[in-house]
Amino acid sequence: MNWRGRCSNLYTMALSEEIKKRPFRFTRKNRERIKDLFLLGLLGLILFMGIREGALNLRYQWHWGRVLRHLYDPRLKTPGLLLQGLGVTLEISFLSLGLSFAFGLLTALFRLSSSRFARFLARSYLEAIRNTPLLIQLFFIYFVVAPIFNMNAFFSALLALSLFEGAYASEIIRSGIISIPRGQWEAAYSLGLSSYRTYRHVVLPQTLRQILPPLSSQAISLIKDSALVSTIAIYDLTMRAQAIIAETFLTFEIWFTVAGIYLVINLFISFLVHLMERKIKRAYR
Amino acid sequence: MTEYKTEEIISITRICKTFPGGIVALDDFSTSVSKGEVLVIVGPSGSGKSTLLRCINGLEEIDGGSIVIDGIPLDGHRRNRKEIRTEVGMVFQSFNLFPHMTVRENINLAQRHVRSKSLKDSEITTLELLRKVNLLDKADKYPNHLSGGQQQRVAIARALAMQPKIMMFDEATSALDPEMVGEVLAVMKVLAEEGMTMLVVTHEMGFAREVGSRVIFMEGGRLVEEALPLDFFQEPSTERAKEFVSKILK
Repeated sequence: MNWRGRCSNLYTMALSEEIKKRPFRFTRKNRERIKDLFLLGLLGLILFMGIREGALNLRYQWHWGRVLRHLYDPRLKTPGLLLQGLGVTLEISFLSLGLSFAFGLLTALFRLSSSRFARFLARSYLEAIRNTPLLIQLFFIYFVVAPIFNMNAFFSALLALSLFEGAYASEIIRSGIISIPRGQWEAAYSLGLSSYRTYRHVVLPQTLRQILPPLSSQAISLIKDSALVSTIAIYDLTMRAQAIIAETFLTFEIWFTVAGIYLVINLFISFLVHLMERKIKRAYR
Repeated sequence: MTEYKTEEIISITRICKTFPGGIVALDDFSTSVSKGEVLVIVGPSGSGKSTLLRCINGLEEIDGGSIVIDGIPLDGHRRNRKEIRTEVGMVFQSFNLFPHMTVRENINLAQRHVRSKSLKDSEITTLELLRKVNLLDKADKYPNHLSGGQQQRVAIARALAMQPKIMMFDEATSALDPEMVGEVLAVMKVLAEEGMTMLVVTHEMGFAREVGSRVIFMEGGRLVEEALPLDFFQEPSTERAKEFVSKILK
């Protein structure tokens, strides 16, 4: 690996030397490049003009400079309200990510179980969750279920989000399990492995590698959906944004900043998953 | 004949198996296998050979009749089925190695979680078996890096790791390139010479003649003919078997 890496470095170095020496020519490849650059520039210009036109039409006083103090408080040297909200959003998202995976796995296994009751249970949960709006599920859990078990808002939000995303995760996991060839089960069973051991050591590890891409887009959905928890008075990123806007009237600046934060977080997750996938592919190819 | 030579290890009595859709795979089939015997099962495709093997280790449930292996009846009881599976090794046409595990891990897995052996003890057995199938240098490779013949030899080692009393081969060489068939058959031959009881579904007539102690010819889920390998390939007694033999020897 090291040796090969060094070699390819030498190779690219040699190549770039060669490129420097070579005079520019209108080869077909270069013509393509110029065309692409031109198109990209044109698209950028159109976008910029469009957005500028729209912004001017709003007759809105833009105060981007006033956004910064909501991200970072220079006097107290602490994260601003928006970043505090981001902390809550991340906390709720990552806890619920784990929990929704557990719900999803359990539901997938129930749906593939030979017990009619387990299949019925899983199917009912799935259909009930998938066919009703998350917002109403959230209200139902917070106002109806939570008082019974004395749950606070944070826990209600966590439960509602996890149940919702778990239903979708279960379908992804189930399709992953089904895609593992029959022969893998048979080989495991013929060695005397129990169903549990077969799932644990043979089927699920292979499933996980397959469902990583759809599961990661589910994770991104979850982070975005977590914005809904602001409706039950949890001070997440979205709720903080609303509060700041109510105070400062920086409507668009704050909302766009919040969208930017979600974008950065989710791009980061996509990047992590991309790295994981590459590592897995390298392992057994 | 001495007593030990005829000691029965598999007894199959009048088993039936019909698949959903009405396809009859086994129809009132009976046979028995003695310890150390190499039973070669031949027949046209769809004659129930594979189903027979799959019923013996409980991958398919039989509709009627009885299977007793080494004194353990294969009935509905989970414990019996598991015990039979650990005593009967199975090698599949498509190898079915676990692609996410190295060769070493493939062979360790069942030793650790079925036989409850420590990692150290499993490793000793695993390396011994890899030496036996001549793949010691591939211990840390993933199955995808191996040729078909090598994969099948790993699969044999994986089954042997359970120290089974019986080994079953379901067309173990059918999916292999011709030049790799030999290396797998060689391993199987060594096993037979060591006195392993074997059930072999194969189209390798050379192997059947050389290693087999008995041939059964199946068609339509029934036992059509049963003979010594030499007799079967030279002078099949039934019309149907004659036709089959003449086709495959061509």
